Amino acid sequence: MPAMLDSAVRKQEKENGLIKSVLGGRHEDFHELIAPYRRGVYLTAYDILQVEADAEEVAQEAFLKAFRALRSFRHESQFSTWLFRIVINEARMKLRRRREVPLETVFPDEGEDGDYTPTMLADWREIPSEALLKEETRRLVRESIAQLPEKYREVLTLRDVNGKNIAETAEILGITIGNTKVRLLRARLMLRDIFVGRTRRKPKEQPAKGVSP
Amino acid sequence: MKLDCKHIWRELSNYLEGDISDDVRREVEAHVAQCRHCAALLDSTHNVLVLVADERRMELPVGFNARLRERLEREMAISRPE
Repeated sequence: MPAMLDSAVRKQEKENGLIKSVLGGRHEDFHELIAPYRRGVYLTAYDILQVEADAEEVAQEAFLKAFRALRSFRHESQFSTWLFRIVINEARMKLRRRREVPLETVFPDEGEDGDYTPTMLADWREIPSEALLKEETRRLVRESIAQLPEKYREVLTLRDVNGKNIAETAEILGITIGNTKVRLLRARLMLRDIFVGRTRRKPKEQPAKGVSP
Repeated sequence: MKLDCKHIWRELSNYLEGDISDDVRREVEAHVAQCRHCAALLDSTHNVLVLVADERRMELPVGFNARLRERLEREMAISRPE
């Protein structure tokens, strides 16, 4: 068996064992079960909510809910998929409760049928610049993510921040793979537009160059 | 088949994912070799995604794990999985 597959299988077996054990009464094993996902769950909540305290509260709620509902986990999907679905739902509910209107609705939500047309054709290379401090860049990235409409923040954090694959992202969001790809494309193009817009407001200290990957 | 800019934009995300057929990939590459707008769009989107991926290294708030554990333990003391 290829090494990677082997380790995935072993991870799954370990998780199944832990789930069984929690359900059998060893509640403390739940801590070990969720340990690999604490960061991802928090980040996902943070990317959607953009407020540390809210993200922590939602992350805690999601884990509590996962604990209480563990018996209903049917092993039809991976544990992490099930868990992230809970997180997304909790974060959505929190947003509803906040009745949050995005800070600036830059993009009308026109559905996903039409094409998204990226803006600023002329100087697309003038983006992330070495002139920007690393910290400043991170702040700009976060602020740019914050400006995306909610459904685009969701898909972006799952795929591009958390590194979930397309199929798992689709399963977590409960949408088709095709829709996931379309939504992701829009999210990425919009994010790039927002980011470029924000970096361009900065005074230029030196000619900007692209950041090498 | 010749891909115009709009087609390139539609394929951009799949291209960055590597989720694209060889034919379309070659078309995209041929197009961006002669279209500076699309080349720049591809580059800059890639760059932004590299920065976004960096977000995953963001620190958890200080004490996050301890507070989570504490909250879970309080819950575990009074309820069990259903």
